[in-house]
Formats: sequence, C-alpha cells, structure tokens
Amino acid sequence: MFTTPRLVAIALCAALNFAVGNVVYLVKLPIYLDSIGTILCALLLFPDRMAAICCAFIAGFIGVILSGLVINPFLPWFTFSVLAIVLVSALLTANATDTFRAQPLQPLPFFGKVVIYGIITGIVSAIISAPVVVYLFGGVTGSGSAFVVAFFLKTGERLLEATLYAGLTTEPVDKTLQVLVAALLYRATPREFIAMLRPAQPAT
Amino acid sequence: MRDFIAGANFSGRSAALMTRLRERLSFFVGPYAEGALSGLSSTVADEIAIYRAAQPAHAEFSALDFAAFAARKPPTLSGGEQVLLALHCFSRSDYNAIGIDTALEQLDPGNRDKALAYLSGGDFYAALIDNRLDARPGWSTQACTGQAAFACNLAAATGALKPCAAPAITIGNLSFAYPGGAAIFRNTSITLSPGAWRLTGSNGAGKTTLFKLLAGVLAPASGTITLDGAPYAPWREGNRIFALAAQNPDHQWCGATLREDMSRRRAALARHSQIAVPDEAALAALAALLGVPSLDQHLYELPLVARKRLSWLWPLSGALPWIMLDEPTIGQDRAMRAALGRTIDRLAALGHGVVFITHDDEFAGTVAHRTVRLAGQAMMVD
Amino acid sequence: MTPNGAIAFGLLVIAAAVVARDVMSLAVILAILLTFALASRRSILPALLWSAGIVLPLAAFMALVWVGIVGRAPHEIAAGAEGSRAAAVAYAALVCLRLFAIAFAIQALFLHFAGWTPLAFVRALTAPPIAKKLLVLTLSLIETILHAIDRARTALIAGGIITRRFSWRNLRHGWLLVQTVWLTVVVIAIGRTRDKWPIEGTLARLDGTLHAAAPRLAIADLAWGAAGLACLIAAIGLR
Repeated sequence: MFTTPRLVAIALCAALNFAVGNVVYLVKLPIYLDSIGTILCALLLFPDRMAAICCAFIAGFIGVILSGLVINPFLPWFTFSVLAIVLVSALLTANATDTFRAQPLQPLPFFGKVVIYGIITGIVSAIISAPVVVYLFGGVTGSGSAFVVAFFLKTGERLLEATLYAGLTTEPVDKTLQVLVAALLYRATPREFIAMLRPAQPAT
Repeated sequence: MRDFIAGANFSGRSAALMTRLRERLSFFVGPYAEGALSGLSSTVADEIAIYRAAQPAHAEFSALDFAAFAARKPPTLSGGEQVLLALHCFSRSDYNAIGIDTALEQLDPGNRDKALAYLSGGDFYAALIDNRLDARPGWSTQACTGQAAFACNLAAATGALKPCAAPAITIGNLSFAYPGGAAIFRNTSITLSPGAWRLTGSNGAGKTTLFKLLAGVLAPASGTITLDGAPYAPWREGNRIFALAAQNPDHQWCGATLREDMSRRRAALARHSQIAVPDEAALAALAALLGVPSLDQHLYELPLVARKRLSWLWPLSGALPWIMLDEPTIGQDRAMRAALGRTIDRLAALGHGVVFITHDDEFAGTVAHRTVRLAGQAMMVD
Repeated sequence: MTPNGAIAFGLLVIAAAVVARDVMSLAVILAILLTFALASRRSILPALLWSAGIVLPLAAFMALVWVGIVGRAPHEIAAGAEGSRAAAVAYAALVCLRLFAIAFAIQALFLHFAGWTPLAFVRALTAPPIAKKLLVLTLSLIETILHAIDRARTALIAGGIITRRFSWRNLRHGWLLVQTVWLTVVVIAIGRTRDKWPIEGTLARLDGTLHAAAPRLAIADLAWGAAGLACLIAAIGLR
C-alpha cells in the first residue's frame, strides 16, 4: 500500500495542511483552512479507496500534530474530525474526480458537486467536532462562531446543542471553501504525479 | 573515468547521463529546483548527516564553512550554495560515482573551478552535463545529437518590438531591514536609467530584497522611488513597470495552463491605465516562438528548459518598460545563451530597462551593461 | 531526557489537564510543568509568553460570551437554574487554565530539545521506520513549501495577481498562491521520486541514518514519567 510515491503524497499533503495557514496569514484573510491537504490526498489516491482513506488520514493526522506543535496546540484534539473528513472525502467527494479534471471546466457540475460535498463534509465535521469544542473550549473557539454559540445559549439551549448549531452554521461554509480549493489543486496536478500513485503493479 | 556529455538542449543528454548513472550506485545532482538536495532534511546539518559514511571514500570538498550554516534550512540556501553542499555531502559519503546535470552552472567561476578540479582529480566516476563548458582534458566526451524540440527563436520573438521610453528609476535614501534582522539598506541612493544593468552582490547582500522593494512586495522603512521624477510607490499602488522572469519559473505561474496564466495576467495589467496590454493572439504567437505553440499546454508538464524559456514571455512582450531576469541562462545551451545576450542588447537599444542577475561572468561579458553592486547596506554603480 | 520519555511525560500531563475538573488540580499540573520547563536550564519566559499569547484571545472571547452575554455557567443552564456571572467567570477561568496548561506543556517539551536537529530527534524516537521516514519527509517538504510560498508570493504580487495587504482581489485570487506553491512542490517531488532517489538509494540511506543506537529511556524519563502519572491520578481522583 505505501509505495514511495504515496509516502511522498502523504508528506506533501501534510506539509500543505501545515503551510496553508501561512498563506492565509500572508494574504491577510480572516479564515483558517487546515484540511485542504487531507481532502486533496483522498482525491489523489482515488480510485483505490482503502489507500485514499489510510493515506489521507495519515496526512491529516501528521498535519494536525505538526500544526499542534508549532502553530495551534489545540488542533490535535480534532483528530476524529480529521477521520470524519477523510471518510467523507474518500467515500463521497472522490466520486467527483472525473468532473474535477474535466477539460474544459464544466461550471455547473463542478461547482455543484463542490457545494454538495462541501456541505456534507461541513455537517459531518460539525457533529464530530462539537463535543471537543464543548469540553476543551467551553464552546468558544475565538472565531465568529462564538457569537452564534452565545445566541443559542441565550435562547436557553444547552452548551452541546448550542455548539452544534453554531458549528452547523459555519462549518459547511468553511469546508465548502476547502473542498473547492482541493478540487482546483487536484484539477491542476500533473498527470505524471497522479499516475505514480497507482498501486504498485505486481511483477509478471 | 570521467564522462562529459555534450550537446544542445533536448538532444538527449539527460537520458544519456541517467543511463550511465544507473550502472552503479551514484550520487545525483539534478537540474531542477532543489535538485541538489536530498529532500529528506530540514537543516544543513541533517543533510550532511544523511549522506555521511563512517569511512568517507574521498577527500573532503569544503568550499563553504558548513558549520556556520548548520541550522540553516536547505531550501533557503542559494542555488550555488545548495550545489556546494551537495558536493560536500558526496565527498563525505561512500558513493563511488557522481552525476551532475547542469547544476554547476549555478556556481560563480571561482567555485565552479574548485568543483571541476575536485571532480577531475578524484578516484570516482563522474559524469557531467554543463552548458558553459567545452570538452575537458581527462574527460571523455560524448556528443548527443537528438532531435531538437520546443524550438525557441528569440530573434523573431523580439523582431516586432517597438521602441519604448522606459522611465529612469531613482531610488533616494532607501532604508530597509527585515523585522528582527540587520539592516539590508541604510540611506542609499541610486539612479537606474534605461539600458542593461547587471545586479551583483554576495548572497544576503540584498538582491532579492531590492527586487521585492521595486515590485512592491516590501515597503521601505524610509526613502522614495521616482520614475522620471514622478513619485512611485509600488507597495501601495502595485507594480506597473517591471516584468519579472523568476529564477525558478514555476514560482511565477498563476494558472495550470498557459491560457489561464495569460488571461489572469492580462486582466491584472489592464487595471493600470498606463499599460497597453497585448492581445491574446499576439501573446500566443510570442509563446509559440518561445517553444510553446498551444495555449492549453499544461505549464508544469513542460520540461524545465521549456518552462524557463516561456517565463520570458511577458518580459519580451514589450508591455512593461523594465525587465528583471533572474539567472536566465541556467540550463540554456550555448546557442540560446548567445541569443539571450543579443536579446538583452536589443531590448536596451529599444529603450527598455533590463536588470539581470547572473553568476555567469562569460555571459555577462557578451552583453553591454552597467553594474549595480550591493554591498555594505548600500547600492553603487561600478 | 530522551524524546520517548519527553513525549510520554507530555501526553500524561496533557491528559491530566484535560481530565482535571478544578483549579486546584490544574495549579498542581502547572507547577509540575514549570519545574519541568526550568529543568531544561533554558529561559522559560518566551515559552510562557507564547502560551499566554495563544490563550489570551480565547480568554477574551470566553469572557465576552460567558460572562458578558450569557451570564451563567453551562451546568447552570443544563439545570435550568438562574445562575450567576461569578459561576460563568469560574468556568471560563477553568477552561483557560486548561488550555494554557496544554499549550505550555508543548512549549516546555521544546525547551528540552532546543539544540537538537530534527533528524536527531526523530532518530531517537521509538516508532515504526515508515512513520519516522514520513515525519522526516514532511518536515523537509514544509521547508520547501515555505520557501516556495515566499518566492511565489513575490512573483504573484509583481504580476498584480494578489496584493501585499488585504484586498478583495486576495479573496478572489488568494487560492492561486496555494496552487502555484502546490504545483511547484509537486514538480520538485516528481523529480526526486523519479530520478534522484532511485539512482542514489537515498531512502535506504535515510533508513540507515534513522536506525537508533541511542537508549530508549533514561533515568530522567522515568522520574518525569512518574510525576506525569501522579498528576493524572490526582486529577482523576479529585474529580
């Protein structure tokens, strides 16, 4: 399963997860995109779904560990969210790889699939992340979603529900953006690299 | 045994080199970006540690004090420093063969001669491709005569260029330091009138910094830039005078295909009313003369030499008055280097300003130019 | 102290911080962390400041939401009680202290290995060879990507595609910087995987370098490990 090119793909995607935070900071955008590499890895390894799940998860896990050590010490706690994103990406989003690489770009299928899979990824991620956000951060992660949580708390919702509803309003948008960038990167990736990631052929 | 593999671009030299190297376990320094690095280390000390053998088989090659560099990250070294590091790693290893594909071109003449002396004098197999060299004594020469591809006609590419009145760039009392670092420039001034300029200075002297200031990527701590006397602040208004050909052409593409890159750049330039943006047909014709006839060409699937030539597209389009060429000759064969020299002369004669950075003193000698030297936190005309 | 021991200690203390329910346990955990950091014989001020810097924005948001807007603690909401701002303050303080402990634990670990090269650290870890190789490869590619980001950003700003400061253009075109960097690094990786590594056998050479001859655990590891375990047991016991 882990041929050298696949190890390289895992490392590239993990490094991309780590480094995109830098890019976001340099272009001064008020968002944080930390799973583009994870989603991209699943797309690259398709149609070998088992490899896609394993490699994308390892890439995502290494990404959150390294980011946790250097940038944001609370990221590793979202490892189960990483797993959830990997499963959605490898089992659902990867079905759109032909659409993503179609030349010329067909806007409706391309963006339609990005939005659908992005929303699904966001919903799943919000559900899995909510308990971690509740316990670790008291529901408040220092982004705009904090005010959404406050709103739901004020209306009498309990903390877990409030956090979940807040997540369901912000995560689908964030994840759709990430699926979009991952799809665009996948589209642009040279054929030679994708071909290298096929399973090693047994010698005949 | 030593093999020097000669020939023009795309004549099959790299394949011939690979065939030889595959016959034995060899150390390889490739032509592409970071081709001298293992890709497995995050510090110079680790890079050396990966290759170090308990009993090094050869004499040490140490053109630089790597102990001082130990904590540096290998990708941040200059191309020449990376090649010297690779040669040092080879000298401390137990490889009995080494192959170098045009990488020595990134060295200045002094270090190149040291490297050649080392390669010529060792008890190991060496195979070399280098566009700057001819057959060498003690090396057997293999000439490759494969089919030329991606034909590039620089004379035709610049044949239709119109005269341009590039503004004189006057930099006054420039000061700049990176946060937490030493000053790169301190109250220095210079005027660059249209024509060809060679930018020189040791690594760390500020060549990249100067370019970032001129392109508006960095803002100076103090100082002014004027164009023919009119104030110019690219860090606020964006760059509207420089067309850049980056050292690694891959850094500058803004699309996966030529069509995407071209349309985005045309749209970006159209924002400046002073710039007459060439139309797509003219640019497509120019790209064809540079060796890429199809706009749907995937940029990153082109060979490196072809990507480098395509990176001259906007500099040669005439759309912008000033041109910056960062190590334009690397990987280009003798004929192309001569053509490039003539091209720079032609651009200067038409009234453009051209600033080029090169380690190739012989190439610089073929171009009529003045020199801007960066040293001691100042810029001076030599 | 060996990397294995340090990681074990770190995990134990972070687990203790996560499990702790009251300020007293967290204070004990922080005290042990401070001692651990001081034992590195390096200045701990940057580590403290960095950890505080990470937690302060979260603390500000928490104060705003829990104390300012909601005005009661989560367990009071769950019980349907009227609640008080004092309880909200206590809750926010607990969460912030926990986050600070986690952040500082990691910084304290770094202090102990500040002089080590990444390769030396990974070599001393007890882990499957493929995991070590992946870690080393990722760390190296991060450097390549960061360098490419700097150069590509320069070229794209020079080309007018993105701007130096925040702009709507960056919102529309920021992703191009990611694409350019991704493709640049993929091309570098293709070259290495196809040419340099097979010809040199570089990965086999790396495996040889990563094979540790160092001790897996030292006395210091066992001592600190015991301290970490004590923290965890105390935190569970005091719940």
